Amino acid sequence: MLTERERARYARQLLLFGEEGQERLKRSKVFIAGAGGLGCPIALYLAVAGVGEIRLVDRDTVEQTNLNRQVLHWERDIGTPKAGSAEAKLREANPDIRVEALVATIDEANVRDLVGDADLIVDAMDNFPTRYLLNREALRSGVPLIHGAIRGFSGQATTIVPGRTACLECIFPEAPPAEVFPVVGTTPGIIGLIQANEAIKYITGTGDLLTDRLLLWDGLSATLETFAVERRPDCPACCEGVVS
Amino acid sequence: MKIRVKAFARFREILGSDLALDLSDGATMAAVLTTLRDRAGDEGDAIFDETGTLRTHVILMRNGRRVNRKELDTLVLADGDEVALFPPVAGG
Repeated sequence: MLTERERARYARQLLLFGEEGQERLKRSKVFIAGAGGLGCPIALYLAVAGVGEIRLVDRDTVEQTNLNRQVLHWERDIGTPKAGSAEAKLREANPDIRVEALVATIDEANVRDLVGDADLIVDAMDNFPTRYLLNREALRSGVPLIHGAIRGFSGQATTIVPGRTACLECIFPEAPPAEVFPVVGTTPGIIGLIQANEAIKYITGTGDLLTDRLLLWDGLSATLETFAVERRPDCPACCEGVVS
Repeated sequence: MKIRVKAFARFREILGSDLALDLSDGATMAAVLTTLRDRAGDEGDAIFDETGTLRTHVILMRNGRRVNRKELDTLVLADGDEVALFPPVAGG
């Protein structure tokens, strides 16, 4: 049941997906991997939308060079862990939800515990090796994964439902080269909010997800396109041993 | 025959956003890539490796469907086909 206070707070979105949808959000647990350029807007918008429990993981501390895009971290947070900095802002933005922020490097040994009993994994990482790890954990546990990545003025996003749709390794069999990527804050803002929007739709059962579709945003030309993607029969992550 | 090539992100800056290629009938995807490599010139490093092969992480599509790398030499294009080329990004 929603409280009176919640009915008031979420009044405008109750018009969209009703009390049932809002209660689903309240009951949901979302794991956000990364509290950087993507993780900040994702966490903020899911918090104010009323996602009941947000678990946020990041291993880094706030640096001055983060401030052009990582909007939950402010001047005063420089030198402190991003997890704590983000947690403080999220609590203030919405005191009615639970926020758990952890300082940790996501690796093979801890990914299972970090995802835990989450209903959804949101990929806000800055590297493909960790993304592949999240993808494998999503496939193992059956928990959907919402992918997003950015560089410069461009970005991509897709939603993966294990066993049903193309997985991250079907779509990106080879990782793009690692680099210190150029970026302006609006790009992770746009892609992060597309990911948060996917999360809200998935949880409330609204609309059509970006499943088996890769969304490409090109900020310089202001164009957004989606391409059909499909499972690769030889995908080592999701199709091993599967006879089609 | 006319082939439309759409490039995204960095590739758009190198190749242009919407390119029309005039190729002889029966041209393969490999021929399209050779044409694009010549067009890109020195800036093509982001798209092709030192041997002139399309970089492994680059995504290549024909009419909205992904092209398998093993088919480059055998995949014959048709008039009006649309080829899309984009670099996945990795930042967050």
